[in-house]
Amino acid sequence: MEEHLGGRQLGDNEIILGSNAHVFMGKSESQVGDVEHFYGQEFTVVGILDPTGIGIDDSGFVTIKSVYEMARQSDFRAVKKLEINEGDISALMVNVDSGADRGDVASQIEVDIRGVAVVTSHELMSSSIARQLESLTPGLLLIGAGFWLIAVLMIGALFSMVVNERRRELGLLQAMGATRGFIFRLVMLEAVQLTAIGGAAGLAVGAVAMLIIKGPIAASLGIEYLWPGTVFIASFALGYLVMAVATGILAALYPAIVASRLEPYQAIRTGE
Amino acid sequence: MIELRNVTKRYISGGVTINAVDEASLKVTDGEFIAIVGHSGSGKTTLVSLMGGLTKPTTGNVFVGGTDIWTLENRQLALLRSEKIGFCFQFSSLIQTLTCLDNVRLPASFAAGEKGGAGHAQELLEMVGVPDKAKAYPSELSGGQQRRVAIARALINEPGIILADEPTGDLDEDTETDIMDLFEQVNARGVTIVMVTHSRHLAARAVRTLVMESGTLSESSKTSS
Repeated sequence: MEEHLGGRQLGDNEIILGSNAHVFMGKSESQVGDVEHFYGQEFTVVGILDPTGIGIDDSGFVTIKSVYEMARQSDFRAVKKLEINEGDISALMVNVDSGADRGDVASQIEVDIRGVAVVTSHELMSSSIARQLESLTPGLLLIGAGFWLIAVLMIGALFSMVVNERRRELGLLQAMGATRGFIFRLVMLEAVQLTAIGGAAGLAVGAVAMLIIKGPIAASLGIEYLWPGTVFIASFALGYLVMAVATGILAALYPAIVASRLEPYQAIRTGE
Repeated sequence: MIELRNVTKRYISGGVTINAVDEASLKVTDGEFIAIVGHSGSGKTTLVSLMGGLTKPTTGNVFVGGTDIWTLENRQLALLRSEKIGFCFQFSSLIQTLTCLDNVRLPASFAAGEKGGAGHAQELLEMVGVPDKAKAYPSELSGGQQRRVAIARALINEPGIILADEPTGDLDEDTETDIMDLFEQVNARGVTIVMVTHSRHLAARAVRTLVMESGTLSESSKTSS
């Protein structure tokens, strides 16, 4: 935090707000430099946190000295008295050093400080939405694999129909000097183009769908909906397009081979 | 020169073995204009397809320019079809999604060399009598005009041989005459023409006539000189 405050510590009349705290203050947004009042005490906003998806987004962070002062003054300044006695704390967040075992640290704290309950972040998240979502993942992957297989079969059937419809044309191309390799590449190129376009369209539709349903998802699960980082999204989109094209190549492989092996004479006489 | 040596093409249809072409032997010299006549189903189209390497004989050999074409690799055979042989088919064989100019230039894309230029293609369209149809699509042309464009396409690579299967199939008499005039004009340039027709009237315009009957090829009793 000191790094983000320019090398200094948080002052007693300063506050750092969560990304969503402004909503509870009845404001459309908060900005650094705003002056806010909590329980009759004035605080200057010196920072606003990025969204986290958990309760921190709805919170404000002040020095502990400010909390005790705010509680003391709330008796005559605020509408409602803040019941916090000098020296009271409700929770401590311990930032464990990189490489340290959280379980060991938690156990040591419980031994050293009586009367406290220690919860590790894993235990927090294990009972949260993340574990519920993790349990859905295998099923979703299975459903996705099923749809992919259906797509392969449908594209394969489509290109078999295309080759059949164009038998005469393909025979004519061979009569004009097209090699079998050319015919094969022609069909495969069409498959690549179609599935690339289809993949791009699918990405666009999926993105629009996510924009529409992210609100209901967040509301139903009771968490903030967070978009992944730009690099992740770009990598995912690229990987998805590559998979779409690969699917087209796989599906059109057999029809392309069949097309390349057509005897020109028989192909040209199709329909006679 | 085209030569067929004891060529047979056999099919099995409904459990019955059919010799579409039965032990046919033929020599076509450079610059000849020959017609092959016969009823429907006599094997004329199969014979011409054998000459052009569009189908492989069951037995026998097919020679084009002294080379047994079925000893060639697929790539070499495709190049031979592209550079040495031009095809004119009975049906509208133009690619509907290409303009007439692009249709004419299409075979050149499979051949070596630079014969597919727009200028050369336009010259051929002028030669066949449809110079103003370069940018038109086949669906905008009459049957006769499409045949003319198909002839221009067959000539783009300056082949030594034109194989024409019923080139005037469903055309009116005047257009038939125009097409035959074109063939004679092309033949006069030294291009060998083998034309399949069921019309003895049209066959009479060829220098030599052969008869196809139930897969058997024979010389006509009346050959024009």
